[in-house]
Amino acid sequence: MTKEEILGKKPLQLLEKIKENLERLNEKMEVMIELQKHGKKDTQPIQDASLDVMTLLSMPDHLRKTAMTICRCGRATAEEIAQQTNRARAVESAYLNQLVIMGYLKKERKGRKAYFYADRESQGEK
Amino acid sequence: MNRIIAVHSYKGGTGKTLLSVNLAATLAKHGKKVGLFDLDFRAPSLFAILKVPNTEYWLNDYLNGTCDINKVLVDLSPRIQGKNNFFVCLANPATEAIRDMSAKDRKWEMRALGRLLSLRNTLLNDKAFDYLIFDTSPGLQYSSINAIVAADFVVVATTGDRSDVDGTSRMLRELYNLFEKKTGLVLNKVLDSSSKSKKDEMHRKVKDVYQVPLLGLVPCFCEVLRAEGNFIFAQDKPDHPFTKILDEMAKRIENNEVS
Repeated sequence: MTKEEILGKKPLQLLEKIKENLERLNEKMEVMIELQKHGKKDTQPIQDASLDVMTLLSMPDHLRKTAMTICRCGRATAEEIAQQTNRARAVESAYLNQLVIMGYLKKERKGRKAYFYADRESQGEK
Repeated sequence: MNRIIAVHSYKGGTGKTLLSVNLAATLAKHGKKVGLFDLDFRAPSLFAILKVPNTEYWLNDYLNGTCDINKVLVDLSPRIQGKNNFFVCLANPATEAIRDMSAKDRKWEMRALGRLLSLRNTLLNDKAFDYLIFDTSPGLQYSSINAIVAADFVVVATTGDRSDVDGTSRMLRELYNLFEKKTGLVLNKVLDSSSKSKKDEMHRKVKDVYQVPLLGLVPCFCEVLRAEGNFIFAQDKPDHPFTKILDEMAKRIENNEVS
């Protein structure tokens, strides 16, 4: 952004932009922390791992709770999941991002919100 | 509210189908709108028990994504002298269909779970069903676990048999608990439960062994066996003790006394 552009914007808009960027940064850091905790260095998403019931059963409890909630909701933000699991938004955000990296969930940005969902339909027939 | 109920067990022959059919019919007789689902794709049986003629669409088709659930629903309300309140969705009993269902992969099962989960919207919310009852295959297999995950409440049918007791305890700990499912145990084929003290003893025993609430005690009735699954017992024998027990169970579910 040039100086003219910054001066031309209203302070509130600028602050919102900063907040949005900070939130993104925060999410990325949460993922990094989660990955470090579990000693995983590979950040390449596994292509299309299926989130079926046997997979759910074999997951660690903390991730299963998040994955089950996403299964029920279909498509949700970390905030919406947090409301159902009674855990902090930041915690759910970290778990959701971890599930994305593991290939079980897909993430889509719409404006300032990030939606998570299990991609059931697009994965080849049978 | 427990509106989607999966009836499951560790072993076969514990009375899941008998319980599912009669529980569904009893809830419908109480004026509720009920859908009964045959999710036992390995050994479909509702088709034969309810003698549904000319079935065109099966639950298999819905889970395969080739038809709408409305096409699968068969209105059997006249069987219980009801009106627009007792429906069934049947599993295809053809050998080819059974083989096809047993060869599905993980991704198909994941989609099938999605379709079962969406019944909450299409049937409970849009079509005003009060209860969906899922009759399942015994043990740990995909179709049954899908049903359990999609359900609000699991009715666990068990008998006093040693092999069944161990397996059921394990399932309670390692399956329903992991999915955080509410469960109610039905002890079926109970011998000698005539006196109040015997019944109380059974209740205590079940609580000690399984540590879950007991939904009902069903004694072994020769009349039920003699019916050979030829009719809906709770409908055709309204004064039989079995019917009264099912009545109590249905009331406990309706009054949400099981959670």
